[in-house]
Amino acid sequence: MKMFVCIKRVPDTSEADVKIDQTGKNVDSSRFSFGINDADNYAVEEAVLIKERRGGEIKFLCIGPKDSDVVIRMSLAKGGESAVRIEDPRINQKDPLQVAKVLAAAIKKEQFDLVMTGCMSGDDSNMSVGVALAEELGVPHAAMVKNVEILDGKVRVKRELEGGLSEVVEMFLPAVITIQTGINVPRYAPIRGIREAQKKELNVLKLEDLGLAEEEVNEAGSGVELLKLYVPVVASSAEMIEGTPEEKAEIIAVKMVKGGLL
Amino acid sequence: MNSEVRGFLEKHDLLGCIQCGRCTGGCPVAARTDLNVRRVIYESIDEKMLDKISKLPHIWDCTTCSTCAVRCPKGLKPLEVLIGLREVLVESGMVQSTVRDALESVFQEGNPWKKPRATRLDWAEGLEVKIAVPGEKVENLIFICCTVAYDPKLQDIARNLVKVLNKAEVDYGLVGDSEMCCSSEVYSLGEAGLFEMMVEDNTKLLNSFAVNRMVTISPHCYSTFKNQHPLLKMESVHYTQLLSKLLAEGKLELTKGVNRKVVFHDPCYLGKKNSVFEEPRFILKQVPGMEILEFARKRERSLCCEGGGGKMWVETESLKERLAENRIKDARALGADVLAVACPFCILTLDDALKAKGLEEEMKVVDILEILNEAVG
Repeated sequence: MKMFVCIKRVPDTSEADVKIDQTGKNVDSSRFSFGINDADNYAVEEAVLIKERRGGEIKFLCIGPKDSDVVIRMSLAKGGESAVRIEDPRINQKDPLQVAKVLAAAIKKEQFDLVMTGCMSGDDSNMSVGVALAEELGVPHAAMVKNVEILDGKVRVKRELEGGLSEVVEMFLPAVITIQTGINVPRYAPIRGIREAQKKELNVLKLEDLGLAEEEVNEAGSGVELLKLYVPVVASSAEMIEGTPEEKAEIIAVKMVKGGLL
Repeated sequence: MNSEVRGFLEKHDLLGCIQCGRCTGGCPVAARTDLNVRRVIYESIDEKMLDKISKLPHIWDCTTCSTCAVRCPKGLKPLEVLIGLREVLVESGMVQSTVRDALESVFQEGNPWKKPRATRLDWAEGLEVKIAVPGEKVENLIFICCTVAYDPKLQDIARNLVKVLNKAEVDYGLVGDSEMCCSSEVYSLGEAGLFEMMVEDNTKLLNSFAVNRMVTISPHCYSTFKNQHPLLKMESVHYTQLLSKLLAEGKLELTKGVNRKVVFHDPCYLGKKNSVFEEPRFILKQVPGMEILEFARKRERSLCCEGGGGKMWVETESLKERLAENRIKDARALGADVLAVACPFCILTLDDALKAKGLEEEMKVVDILEILNEAVG
């Protein structure tokens, strides 16, 4: 099994004070702690478990600056063979479709059976990279996966749906899977293991190494422009609409027309 | 026998054990868990068993209080055997997720609480406090402790220490925001590799200060720096040792009365591990109005609060009464209205036990520094 796992270094914002910075388009991250994206950590563990059961190779992919190396080495220590870090200030990391293009360019160069990503990142929360990546690679995908079973030339997964329902999907390999948290219990990478992992291959690539043009993946080339990041003002203004369904519908319709929404 | 396993047998001198049972006989947790360290030592002699024994949940019940080491007639350290077994599990990566998180946090953020490095000095905001500058001579380097720095329940202890030091006009400087975990609990949890790395990093950082004495708030920090950092150029001292000296020399005066009945709980890492018993008592005796009571289980026989040995991150399987609750009951039975401690882990576990017993109105668990802050006026 040749596997790629895409990982990202993100801030831990569970208890952090999140403030918008002076640009008005980003957060002030100077007081954050950073670590591997939670869902990605589960993907790393799942890949290692598959490798332990069936043999194979794992390559980690990460888009980020040198600070991301620690997260890559921790993953390598758990059971990867090699890693690629893509560092290029031209890449617009805020657009998941462009991120997927970059990752796909790194993966396309090689033969692979399975690509895993976390289902969602803890900072941007788009839940889109894995799915877009499958499109870029031209392979099937399943998102929000809570169980993975490798079969002969196929993979059978359980997807987590709303209401606690599970959907069973079978796909031909190669495929992309986005992993939901809780699928397993991620192991600990002891320091001695991380030290050993320093010897493993970690290549740092730029756009040119991936054969990508700047316009495909930069901010100007994005289909989405971030205008402003702000903390919404907390206000309360809720009007409870009473009456029969027909009465309520009329009241709402009038409000929508008067409010200029229709 | 492979060389790694031969190392385990020799390192812990397992064949030196005469199976007398004094260790298990004195082990405070043996009464409430399945931990029988005498049997663990015996079974660990067979190297084929190490892997299996390392997976037993009760090896995580040990609080590393050192009662076993104090009592062993052969001078062995049974707690180190348990830590060695934890090391086997840590190297496999298959530790409890809470342990994993604490260790990863020390590695990435320099503290076991998953808090950012950048907020380590937040407790000092608004306070008149001196930060030491590497290379600039200062008499006392102050090491706060991750738990005290980040836990809102304990941050007052750090503030009280600063206030007392300011009042006594002591020449001091804090390590500051470069302070990182002493790693006493990293060691107890069996992550030897990370511990070695932290010892190296801390030795380098602390030696960059031009100081002869480092003063800590936690007995764990004090003990680890004193006993496990051979290349550290300074003396490691617990705050009770510095403050009792200042009181004896008349450099600190306690003028306000604190009219309470207080009983002192000897922290294991201060008492059993390092034989510091007198200084905390001396301090309490100087407080006007205090009536000092003593537990029957005092000094070397102090009942471990179950906060050390990595227990802050490991849950026991036992449902029997916690030792801390036992201690609270004993304090009440003595008629104490204050249970005085000198360790952040003791405060957390004993305070939790106080609340679990519903006794917050009758008694308070406080650090000696909180009493001092009241008494200096």
